[in-house]
Amino acid sequence: MVGNPADAEDLMQEAFLQLFRKIGTFRGESAFSTWLHRMTVNVVLMRLRKKSLPTDSLEETPEPDAENSGHKRDVGAPDLRLSGAVDRVNLERSIEKLPPGYRTVFVLHDVQGYEHNEIADIMGCSVGNSKSQLHKARTRLRELLQEEMRQQAREERKAAKTPTGSLD
Amino acid sequence: MHCKELESVLEAEGLEQLSKDARLHLATCGACQGFVADLNSIVSAAKSLPAEVNPPDRIWISLRAQLEAEGLIKEAVEVSQEPSWWESFSAWLKPRTFATAAGAALVLAAAVYVTRLPHNRPEGVAKNQPAVENSHPAQPQVTGSVPPPAMRPANAAPSQAQAAAKTKELAPSPSESASFALSQAELDVPNMQLAGNSQVDASLRQNLRTLNAFIAECELHLKQNPQDELAREYLNTAYQQKADLLAAMMESGRGEN
Repeated sequence: MVGNPADAEDLMQEAFLQLFRKIGTFRGESAFSTWLHRMTVNVVLMRLRKKSLPTDSLEETPEPDAENSGHKRDVGAPDLRLSGAVDRVNLERSIEKLPPGYRTVFVLHDVQGYEHNEIADIMGCSVGNSKSQLHKARTRLRELLQEEMRQQAREERKAAKTPTGSLD
Repeated sequence: MHCKELESVLEAEGLEQLSKDARLHLATCGACQGFVADLNSIVSAAKSLPAEVNPPDRIWISLRAQLEAEGLIKEAVEVSQEPSWWESFSAWLKPRTFATAAGAALVLAAAVYVTRLPHNRPEGVAKNQPAVENSHPAQPQVTGSVPPPAMRPANAAPSQAQAAAKTKELAPSPSESASFALSQAELDVPNMQLAGNSQVDASLRQNLRTLNAFIAECELHLKQNPQDELAREYLNTAYQQKADLLAAMMESGRGEN
C-alpha cells in the first residue's frame, strides 16, 4: 500500500504494536487474521493521510488522470498483447505503481487469495466495490505492463542501431 | 452483447463463470479475447508472487523492545512448584486447634528446658562459640518466624497434659522428646503420596533427608559437647524446621489421599 519497503517495515511494526495494545478489544466476531488485516489497513491509511498522500477510498471511483487517459482502453481497438506470459519482475514493479486502493485489493485477492467478502470486511467497503476495484486494478496493471513492453521494445531498437547512430 | 457490456460484466462478476452471452461475444471478438487473455495472464502471474514476505529480524527485535518499554510484555518468570517455607508454615497453621496445641507444647517444652538447665555452666562457653560455629554444619535457612515444633502427627493434636506427660516420660531433655515425637510422625511419611507432582514429592523427601542428616550431626556433636549452647540452638531450630516440613508433607498427603 505504501510502495516502499522502509515505510512498509515501519508500518508493520506499528500495526503489531497496535495489535498488542488493542488485543483486549478483539471480540471474535471475525477471523483474527481479518481483524489484524483491518487494523493494518487503518494504520497505513492514517499514515498516508498524515503525509497527505492519496488514499483512494474504495467507495470512490478515481478520476482519470493524465497518466491514465493516454492509455484508456478503447473498446474494440487492437491492444498490445502480453503474449500469454507476464514477467514477474515487471509485474511487481507495476503493482508498486498502482494507487494504494487498487494495490491493496489486487494483492489481497490475486496474490493472497482472500475472497471479496473478506476483502470488503477488511477494507470496510461493499463486495461490489471490491470486485469493481479488482477489475480496475487488473486493467491498470495491463496498461502498465503494455507500457513496459513498449519501453523495452524501444530500448531494443535503440540498441540495435550502429555505434555511429545511423541506420543502414 | 457489445464490448462495453462485456467490460461491465467483467467488472461486476470477475473473470470466473462468465455468462453465456459473454462467452458468445468472446468467441466473436478478437480484441475482447485478447483483453480477457491478458487479464488471466496477470492473475496467473500474481499467484506465483509470495503471499507473505518475512520481515528482517531487526523488525522483530525492535518490536519486542518497544513492547517491553511500554510494559505490554514481560520476561517469563519461572514459578517454583516447591512451596516456600512460609507457605508450608501457613498451611501447617491453618488448623487452629493444632496451632493452639503446638503453641502450648512449645511453652511447656520451654518451661521444662529452663528448669532443667545445668547449674555449673562453664564460663568459657562464649569463647568457644566461634570455634564451635566453624565446626558446625551449615544450618538450613529459616525464613519468617520460627514455628513451634510438631510434637505429634498433625491429625492428632495433643492436649497440654498429654504433651507434658509425654515429655516427662520419654526423655530428660526437650530436644530428645522433640526428636522422638518427630520420628514418630515421620513413620507414616514413606507410605504417603505427598503431592500429585512426583517432582514435588521427591523434593519434599529430599528436604527431609537433608534435615535428618543435619539433626544427626547436631545430636552427635551435642553428645560430645553437651554444654554447647549454640549447637543446642541449631538443633532446636532444625527440629522446628523438620516439624514444619512434616506438617507440610502430611497436609499434602491428606489433600491427595
